[in-house]
Order: sequence, then C-alpha cells, then structure tokens
Amino acid sequence: MGKIIYSLVFVKKDSEKFTKLVTGMTGILGAKLSVVFFGEIMAVVSDLKKTNTVADKSNVVEYAKVIEILAQQFTVLPVQYGSIMESTEVIQNMLERNYSKFYENLEKVENKVEYGLKVFCDSKKIKKELATKLEPDLITKPTKNNNPSIYKEYLNKKLKEHQFEKLLLEYVDTIIQDITVRLSKMNPIHKFKKMESESKIIDAVFLIKKSKQEDLITTVKDLQKKHTGLHLMLTGPWPPYNFVNITIN
Amino acid sequence: MEKNNEKIDMQHNDIINRSKDFTLLEMLDRVLNKGVIIAGDVVISVADIDLVYLGVKLMLSSVETMEQLKENKQ
Amino acid sequence: MSENKILFNSGSFEEISEEMEKLTNNEKSKLELGPDNAESGLAKLVLTLVDLIRKLVEKQAMRRVDGGSLNDDEIERMGETLMKLEMKMEELKKHFNLTDEDLNINLGPLGNLM
Repeated sequence: MGKIIYSLVFVKKDSEKFTKLVTGMTGILGAKLSVVFFGEIMAVVSDLKKTNTVADKSNVVEYAKVIEILAQQFTVLPVQYGSIMESTEVIQNMLERNYSKFYENLEKVENKVEYGLKVFCDSKKIKKELATKLEPDLITKPTKNNNPSIYKEYLNKKLKEHQFEKLLLEYVDTIIQDITVRLSKMNPIHKFKKMESESKIIDAVFLIKKSKQEDLITTVKDLQKKHTGLHLMLTGPWPPYNFVNITIN
Repeated sequence: MEKNNEKIDMQHNDIINRSKDFTLLEMLDRVLNKGVIIAGDVVISVADIDLVYLGVKLMLSSVETMEQLKENKQ
Repeated sequence: MSENKILFNSGSFEEISEEMEKLTNNEKSKLELGPDNAESGLAKLVLTLVDLIRKLVEKQAMRRVDGGSLNDDEIERMGETLMKLEMKMEELKKHFNLTDEDLNINLGPLGNLM
C-alpha cells in the first residue's frame, strides 16, 4: 500500500475552506482524500489499496476529476498520474526538501489557467502554394560526367523536401508571430510546438487569467477570419499541467 | 419537416459526443504526460516486499509482473 | 468539471481524428501492460531511436547540400549513402512488422520525436 498524490495546493489563508472541500471528496476506487502539508503547501493524497489496479482508464479519469475540482477554487500544481510514495512522513519530507521549488511554481501559476490552441492546415493545399516558391531541379552544376544517377535523383528529391520544410517552417513562424502579438495584451506565458504532424502545424498552450477567456476566444475568432486556410481549435480552461516543470526522484 | 429536425438533432448530438470524447482524450493526455513528476523511477516496497515498479514513462506495473517477464525470457 | 472544454473549433472532427488517434495511442502505450507488449515495445524503442538518428543525419546532410559547399563527387556519395540508409530502415521496419506510426511513440518529456 502507498499513497497516491493528486496535486499540490497553495493554501494560504483558506485552510478551513480547503479542508472542508477535501474531506467531502473521494479519490480513486472510493478512497478518502486526505492532506499532507508543509508550510503553505498541501499535498492532496489518498491511500492506494491494490497496486495492480492503478493502471486503469477509469481510475485515471477519477484522478483527473479530483484535480479539476481542486483547481476550480485553489491554485494547484497538478501531479502526473502514478506518483506514489510510501507514507505521510515520506511525503512531508519531500515537501520540505523541495519547498522553494514548489512555492515558486505555485506563485507562477497563481490565479491563472491554461488554454490549448491547435492549428491545423490542409497540407495538400499549403504544399501547392509553397511549391510554387521552390526552385526547380537543384543539383544542376555542370558535371564532367553527365549521366543521370539514381543517387542524384534521390538527393534532388530529398533536397526538395528539405526546402519545402524550410518554407513551411517560415510560414508557421509567421503565424506564431501573429498569435504572439495578438495575445500580448493578455500577458500570457506561452509555449509552442511546431509541425508535430502533416496537418497539425502548431500546438500551443497559454497561461493566462481566467477572466481573459472571452478576450481569448475573440482573438482566436479574429485569427480564424484572417487565416482562412487554417483550422483552429481552442480548449480550456485547464489546470496548469503544461506550466509545471518539476521532477522529483 | 420533422425528419429534417430529427436529422439536425442527431448531428448536433454527434458533435456533442465527439466534443466530449476529445475533451476526455485531451484530459488523459495531460494527466498522463504532464504535471509534477514525483518519484519518477522507483520501486515502492512495504515491509521489504517490493510492490510497485514505476518505470519512467514506459510502464506502470506490479513488480510481480516484472518478475514474470524476466522469468519468461529465461 | 464541464465535460466539453472545446471553446472554439472551426475544423471538422474528421480532421482532428488523426489527433484523436495519436492521443488514444499515447494513452494505450501508457496504460497497457503485459508480457506481449514488452518485447515489441523494446524493438519499437530501439528502432525509433535509430530512425531518429538517421533523420537527423539526413537533415544535416541536406543543409550541407543546400549550402552548396559540396562538390559533385561528394553529392553523389551522399545520395548513395542516404538512400541505402533509408532502404535499410525500411527493411528493419518490415522485419519487426512496424509502421511509421508505431515508431512515433511518446517519450514523455522528450515529446513526440518526429
């Protein structure tokens, strides 16, 4: 048996409200939630009875829901699923050893929530547009021996792909620039992943105040109007999963 | 006229269901891959009996399963 | 918790079905256990890393060719080597019965590698 940790919560003054909330909730497999605290940081935990039932989808969903409910009223650092420690003593030690790291991260996400923006493009359409910018056969240096070689052909093909990718990357960068400029008034922290697949050219997450949600939706709608060849998907609000950068062994 | 309304209702429900599905997937993706990582690579034991092995990112299994895997290979 | 967190979506769900599949595969690879998975899991991991290195080498080669700093002979040899590397990779994938999608596993903090 051990204790699974759901999240770390900043509880500065509202400890009564917090305790009330936690004691009213249940976690995975109906286990009661309890709290291990150090200073102003509380770890929400529950007992784990059968360890071989941990890796089950419905458990993961329940786990995530606990985090959601906590995040609605408090500043939390979500903990990745599967974080288990032996006992309250061990957890408390862990909190103490890493207190300033956690504190800093909690301050960073205080009163803010995460939104995700995915940008998809019709890759065939974009390919056609960008292909017009590509130079024709590239390896045209005059050679002593002018026999066409399969290796040169192969290389030409690879080079075209490479140059196409360069152009696509430049295009993606201009979109990211556009997004960044439009969002700047919301003071976000943003993270961008580019070209994760042929169609998903941008996968971004933003950390902003929840009060800016309508503003954000409007901005995304404006972006859509401008870039008609792209499809945008905005999700949120999420607890700040992507703005936590702590690993503890 | 009524058939059209039915059709629109079905499409609407379809979109709602797919939205829920997608939301669920996004949520699972976050909770399984992001967030604070505590005890990243560890064997948890109680009373000197090894119970849980947390392999970084690849597997989450009971130590029994791991021992069995090793045995099966020999 | 609201069951639907999609605030704006201009695409159709067909379009994001690829995205949904990827998320589902990630979820599966994290939650599935068993003796059967272990061996093919290892082959996948090894081949993913090998293919990653191959692609990085290829990219670097392309930058050299693009930059125009290679002579004719070097270009020819480069083409031959890269082509053979790619063919070898295809052989390996066939041997282990793995597709390109299989190799694009999620390695946690390293993210999707390709």
